[in-house]
Amino acid sequence: MATKDRLIIVGGDAAGMSAAAQALRMRDDLEIIAFERGQHTSYSA
Amino acid sequence: MRRLEDGATYREPVDQLVYATGAGPRWLEVPGARSRGIYGVATLADGLLLRQIVEDERPQRAVIVGGGYIGIEMAEAFVARGLDVSLVELGSEVMGTLDADMGALVSAALREAGVKVYLEERVTGFHADGGQVRAVETDRRTLPADLVVLGVGVQPRSELAAEAGLPLGESGAVRIDDRMRTGIPGVWAAGDCAETFHLVSRRPAYIPLGTTANKQGRICGINLGGGYARFPGVVGTAITKFNQTEVARTGLSEREAQALGFEYGVARIEDRTRARYYPDSALMVVKLLAEKGSGRLLGAQIVGGPGAGKRIDVVAAALHAGMRVDEFMYLDLAYAPPFSPVWDPLLIAARKAAEQV
Ligand SMILES: Cc1cc2nc3c(=O)[nH]c(=O)nc-3n(C[C@H](O)[C@H](O)[C@H](O)COP(=O)(O)OP(=O)(O)OC[C@H]3O[C@@H](n4cnc5c(N)ncnc54)[C@H](O)[C@@H]3O)c2cc1C
Repeated sequence: MATKDRLIIVGGDAAGMSAAAQALRMRDDLEIIAFERGQHTSYSA
Repeated sequence: MRRLEDGATYREPVDQLVYATGAGPRWLEVPGARSRGIYGVATLADGLLLRQIVEDERPQRAVIVGGGYIGIEMAEAFVARGLDVSLVELGSEVMGTLDADMGALVSAALREAGVKVYLEERVTGFHADGGQVRAVETDRRTLPADLVVLGVGVQPRSELAAEAGLPLGESGAVRIDDRMRTGIPGVWAAGDCAETFHLVSRRPAYIPLGTTANKQGRICGINLGGGYARFPGVVGTAITKFNQTEVARTGLSEREAQALGFEYGVARIEDRTRARYYPDSALMVVKLLAEKGSGRLLGAQIVGGPGAGKRIDVVAAALHAGMRVDEFMYLDLAYAPPFSPVWDPLLIAARKAAEQV
């Protein structure tokens, strides 16, 4: 299996999740790992 | 990385990295500020906890420190639940993102709802009893309190990025370009931890809002995925409300225009949200600034009844377009009696401002 490019996102709320969603639409060969220290994302995500 | 459940630390290899760490609430550095019963509201969990405390512990007296949008939204919530609410603000009026003459209208709305508003007062400490807050000390008085909420602003969470050597702007937030690049290849930043560009002042700005965080995140995702997108910047648009009073601003306030050295004309008018004779027609005040000489619109502020606030978006669009006030004053805005007077209050304000530039 080819290794995927790896994207790390620190912070899983409005900005982080928007970036993740859009990056996945652009490239299906990305492996995305988002780190979120809280338990919720906000109303604005 | 450190896993919070068990404290294990580990490393993740990475090709690209996005900082989207947001902003954290400021805390007051005064005696007693870590007492139980003093809360910030930054997350959904904070809000849920506060609601539970109000329901379970039945606090009688709430003191809110800070009269920004978080402070006045919390005041609204506490008044609705029957608490006795005091609000302490260091500035000359609440809503410091507005000019004082407009903020005064919001202070008046708070007072009308029974909130005790203390302006130009500094919180100097908190009295606690067995670790539980009992009173707020200001430089002028002591306010008994069962519950304290701090709404004294936020600061960018940029420590991680700074440690990694990313340049920060004057605000302390991560400096990024219009494609959300940090200057280090493969490293990006977006949202409240990052700066943005102000299209009216033509300078970097730090205005942490959900609107911008979503857009910057989207732009960041497109670019790091190999596409091309640019985020030109913001004009400083924001909105909030207290009970029936809507509060909105965009562009530069008079205070900001002065600080930046703009020469400007200004109009402040009072009019109505709907035709005068129409049910629920309410008062609204509009303040509008335009640059002397060029006539370019610089900003607007609105305080008024239901239907007033979202009108700010028209001015925001005009600011994005770099419109002059004499162009703005004949805009073809929608009219029927349930929605506005035949001259929308924004257009009346623009007519007046045009005479000043
Ligand atoms: C009470 C309140 C009301 C608001 N109302 C409005 C409004 O009406 N309109 C508006 O436009 N904006 C509003 N905002 C602002 C809006 O919430 C923020 O601008 C928006 O959430 C920013 O999104 P973000 O993704 O950049 O940051 P955040 O939402 O702050 O998310 C950052 C995330 O990163 C996580 N994180 C940080 N560091 C680390 C780390 N080292 N490891 C792992 N995770 C980490 C945090 O836990 C957090 O979840 C409001 C804010 C508050 C507090």
